[in-house]
Amino acid sequence: MSDAPSILICDDEADLAAELGEYMSANGWIAMVATSAPDALAVLEGGVTPTCLLTDLRIAEYDGAELVTAARSLPPALQPQIFVMMTGHVVDASEAADFGVDLLYLKPIDPDAILGDICAALSRRNAGKVEG
Amino acid sequence: MTSWLNSARDTLRVLPVALIATTICLFAATALLYVTESQRRALLSATIRSSGWVAYQAQLEYVKSRAAMDSVVMVPSQNALDFLGLRLELLRSRLPLLYSSEEGRFLDEIAGVKSGVQAFEGEIDAFLDRLPLLPADRATADEVLSWIDALEPLGRTLQTALLTSVAYNDEIFRRERELAATPAIVPLMLLFVSGTCLALVLLVQARRDRVRLAAVQTARAAVAAMEENLRGVIEAVPACMAVIDPSDRRVRFVNSGGGAMIDASPDHPDWARLTDAAFAAARLEGAQWGTLALTFDTAEGAIISLRGSLCNVIWEGRPQILMVLADTTRVRDADLQLLQAAKLATLGEMATAIAHELNQPLAVIRMAVANAHRMLASDGERSLIAAKLDRVASQVDRAKRIIDQVRRYGRLPTGRPTRFSLRHAVELAVGFVAEQYRAFGIRLSIQLDIPADLMVTGEQTMFEQVIVNLLINARDAFEARTTPGRAPCVFVRARVAGDNAVIEVEDDAGGIDNEMMSRLFEPFSTSKPVEKGTGLGLSLARSVVRDMNGQITGENIAEGARFTVVLPIASAPSAQEAA
Repeated sequence: MSDAPSILICDDEADLAAELGEYMSANGWIAMVATSAPDALAVLEGGVTPTCLLTDLRIAEYDGAELVTAARSLPPALQPQIFVMMTGHVVDASEAADFGVDLLYLKPIDPDAILGDICAALSRRNAGKVEG
Repeated sequence: MTSWLNSARDTLRVLPVALIATTICLFAATALLYVTESQRRALLSATIRSSGWVAYQAQLEYVKSRAAMDSVVMVPSQNALDFLGLRLELLRSRLPLLYSSEEGRFLDEIAGVKSGVQAFEGEIDAFLDRLPLLPADRATADEVLSWIDALEPLGRTLQTALLTSVAYNDEIFRRERELAATPAIVPLMLLFVSGTCLALVLLVQARRDRVRLAAVQTARAAVAAMEENLRGVIEAVPACMAVIDPSDRRVRFVNSGGGAMIDASPDHPDWARLTDAAFAAARLEGAQWGTLALTFDTAEGAIISLRGSLCNVIWEGRPQILMVLADTTRVRDADLQLLQAAKLATLGEMATAIAHELNQPLAVIRMAVANAHRMLASDGERSLIAAKLDRVASQVDRAKRIIDQVRRYGRLPTGRPTRFSLRHAVELAVGFVAEQYRAFGIRLSIQLDIPADLMVTGEQTMFEQVIVNLLINARDAFEARTTPGRAPCVFVRARVAGDNAVIEVEDDAGGIDNEMMSRLFEPFSTSKPVEKGTGLGLSLARSVVRDMNGQITGENIAEGARFTVVLPIASAPSAQEAA
């Protein structure tokens, strides 16, 4: 991939979204920020396909899990490659697979870890594609 | 039977009056009779005796005239003739008195001689006319002699009149003697009868007075016994009871319960303080004092909770105010402990929500720190790094606010009422559950139409717990039953209605079961599973609201349930309180 990877961050906690966006930008990513699930979905449906979608689980009025489901139902060309979820809640479902995402984090989380994990997942995915 | 008794009673009532009237009449009759009788007697004896005297005088003159005529017959001198003329004149003057005077007319027998006597009067007049012409000789003597015979019938008539008169007088004397022997038997009888009547009146009256006196004494004894009983009951009641004079609000009497709680002496200064507090706390319900609840600082420094009432009583014959107060400190302490337990349970339930809330600022801090590190490593601009640190500081403040709220909520209630802003308290309570509601996806619609400086009086954290309880109940109601196709929503509204503030918590979760509705505020009644609730929330809510002199009610509305809390608005603080 010659182009810089891009990430869409969806969290109603604006400060958090902004800080994370800034961090990713500083690490060479193109960062987009949405503070509500409908906004994020509008970005996706608008034809901008980020490499990675990172969403909070509990977002006012519209659940993060619903956003993931909606994104998964988009045409494959519009779907992000990596799905990441963050939550401040102690959730019963502690497996990433339960939410249909690649990575699941509990807040607060070190952004270095998020970045490292995303990059690793991305390279695994790409390696798989090459092999496949 | 009753009518007979009534008529007997009426008779008894009329009897003395009738007796008194009869007695008065009899007295008057006796007096009148006595006066008339004595008058008649005096008149009778006077006239009868006078009539006898008139007859006697006439008879006397007749005899004297007869003697004068005899002397003329024996010696017919001029002197004898003159003397005869004088005598006849006198006799002539006495005769009409017999029948024409008042005294003479009184006896019929004497009045009956009138015609006979008048015939002789004419003859005497004729003889008297001739007498001066008669010579003093024998012929005259013979004429006089023959005239003596002619006057003989007059002599007999006069004699009869005299005798009749004498006979009458004898009879009168006899009657008078009789009367003197049995003096005034009739008036005496009358006096006796009236005296008897009087005695009867007095007897009846005395009997009635005795009956009345006995009734009055019985009633007085009953009143005294009742007062003694009341005193005994008041003494025995294990509550503080004091009798207060309404004129100066001084305590006049204190029972043993009051003595144990404050002081046995009504003059103790704490009584005045307690009385003032009670009057301030008591609410008038109609014309009667209502119930009251207050807290009181004792001289020993303890805070006691009191519940009771003021009421009007008659004490020692005067209208007084009875203050009855029960020490509910232990009940209140138990309530407070329950409330605390309920609060801590809520707090435990909300631990995850609180953890999430705290995680948010921590997550922001973590990101900001990572960015600041990166900036430092790449020799970034100082101002940008400073901005990151500011963001960290503001997030720390946010976390502190959350922790403060939890700490506030976990604090033991003091049980001491204060004035507080209703709006602020409702906002704090709503803020406490807001995150949970967000987590559960329940919308909170807040509409507080009350000014921030609207104050109510009570224990603020306990009141907040009431609102939190209502909001948690609403949340649990949605958990039990959700209306499909609709976002669950809870409304919190506040408004002013007259002297009261009204707070409503309303959900659209389908409402409360009818079976549950009737015992909504009873302790240990719950529709929740055992692990969810104690069944004490609404019972405690009611006792908290009642302590604030307010009311809490629950009702079903179209889509769900609505709880309404009505609280009296606290008046502006007095200068003393403000100081």
